[in-house]
Amino acid sequence: MNVGLEQFLTVSFLLFALGLLGVIMRRNLLVIYMSLELMLNAANLALVSFSRFNNKLDGQVVVFFIITVAAAEVAVGLALIVALFRKRPTAHVEDLATLKL
Amino acid sequence: MNSSSITLEICVIALGMVLMLADFFVAPDRKRYLAYAGIVALAGLLLVSFSGDGVCSIFGASFSGSFVEDPMALFFKRLFIGSAILVLFLAAEFSDRFASGLNEYYSLVVFALAGMLFAASANDFVMLFVSIELITITFYVLTSFQKNRLASLEAAVKYLILGALASAFMVFGIALIWGTSGELNFNGLAQVSGQFVNNKLFLAGCLFVLVGLGFKIAAFPFQVWAPDVYQGAPTPTTAFLAIGSKAAGFVLLLRVLFVAIPAVTHHWVHLLMALSAITILYGNLCAMPQRNLKRMLGYSSIAHAGYLLLGVAALNSSGQAAVMYYLAGYLFTVTAAFFVIALVLRHVPDENVSGLAGLNHRSPLLATTMTISMVSLAGIPPLAGFFGKFLLLKAIIEQGPAHHGYYLLAFIALVGVIISISYYFNVIRAIYWTRDPADLSPITVSGPARFSIAICVAGIFWLGLFPESVLNFAMSAASAIK
Repeated sequence: MNVGLEQFLTVSFLLFALGLLGVIMRRNLLVIYMSLELMLNAANLALVSFSRFNNKLDGQVVVFFIITVAAAEVAVGLALIVALFRKRPTAHVEDLATLKL
Repeated sequence: MNSSSITLEICVIALGMVLMLADFFVAPDRKRYLAYAGIVALAGLLLVSFSGDGVCSIFGASFSGSFVEDPMALFFKRLFIGSAILVLFLAAEFSDRFASGLNEYYSLVVFALAGMLFAASANDFVMLFVSIELITITFYVLTSFQKNRLASLEAAVKYLILGALASAFMVFGIALIWGTSGELNFNGLAQVSGQFVNNKLFLAGCLFVLVGLGFKIAAFPFQVWAPDVYQGAPTPTTAFLAIGSKAAGFVLLLRVLFVAIPAVTHHWVHLLMALSAITILYGNLCAMPQRNLKRMLGYSSIAHAGYLLLGVAALNSSGQAAVMYYLAGYLFTVTAAFFVIALVLRHVPDENVSGLAGLNHRSPLLATTMTISMVSLAGIPPLAGFFGKFLLLKAIIEQGPAHHGYYLLAFIALVGVIISISYYFNVIRAIYWTRDPADLSPITVSGPARFSIAICVAGIFWLGLFPESVLNFAMSAASAIK
């Protein structure tokens, strides 16, 4: 079987949908955060495969920017989750209910 | 002219680093004065941006078209620097409520400002993504800055999850747009976007990018974070979110919709109109029952995003100019309100509207400021908020003959304004007509706070009574993106 752009894009869409599903369904903050990273990497896969099949390098350069920014986001995000965990030892989203009407 | 075109941004980043390093040289009890050093430096940059032969007056594109300097970029850069100056004043007043890391707070505000300046000039999708992430990631930290307050941390985690979700959508959208059209640059995309109005992948990409930008401006249905984050964040952060972050979202939205993909924008006019109408009604209806003042302003900021979207949905340059004018008025109005909140609700844990009771006896200056601010937010003449709303509605009605849906949209906006009067006047009633207020101790307002409140009130009256100069500038800025 010849693997073309469509197959790569299908995998990328599936990864994105799985990540979105994880964000919506899972109740643990760390797992939600992992699912978000999955979504970002789905986008990276799409960029790289477009780059490969359209013979343009821009997409691969953009991926470097995205990986760098995502690393910064993870550093801040994990620090925040740890700070919250110290204040209240639970990682479940149902317990985030201080702020309400 | 490559590196000279980003002189302003380089200066701002250098200022942020100096503020951070000053930690080693400044005694702990003097750290709040660092804010005044930052204010002086930023005021200097603002003056430079007004000088005729300054760094900002050379218009054109640089860095192979990814960075553009035009009147619209200049308008927003001045707006951002002005808002950062007022936020630093507010942070200096608020400084006793941070447990540690005060100078980091100031430098993070300045770094967020650098992100906003880059956003004002972004002309391709890489620049858009990096500048928006610089703003958002900085705001995660700014929101969580009261580390010993659970609400602050909880707000930051909620902002983090939803913000990361929005940026994942935006990255995927950028991937789809680039994959189908082969262009990342807005001007390059403008030339080819007409061919792709029927390409499903391209349209999905545009929609995903709009999701990311809709999150920044807190438009329906991406508004869920706004009330919680506004309530939980430290007050200076909330003020910066309300004006800086929202304005950054709008400058990028204007550039993407009207420079990069004008063909798709005209295709989607109904979508924009519906988003605007629902955002106005949602924000105003949800703000009515709120008791927490900052949460109420969070919902009101959703409603204001809806009013601003009216100018985007109008698809003409008077609408775009009205958006910029409205943001300038909103800057002064909302910062004045947050100043009063930071000063009055200092010792009250829950920041409710009832905490303002008897304010006219405790501090007539703050009571008057809050009244002016609420009246301006409600859009009553002769203040800035009224003239901004007038311009937005005028832009919408101008388009009425072409499409009758615009008349309905104008009607919905008016209904929203009438609803909003009820909850804004609730605040004024709490100030003047509460029986037996619990606390009648006078509030002392420091000199710098007096000065910045005077700037805000003067700005509200100036934009309401003498709109010509700012309006002309906004008009020329809007004509730059045609």
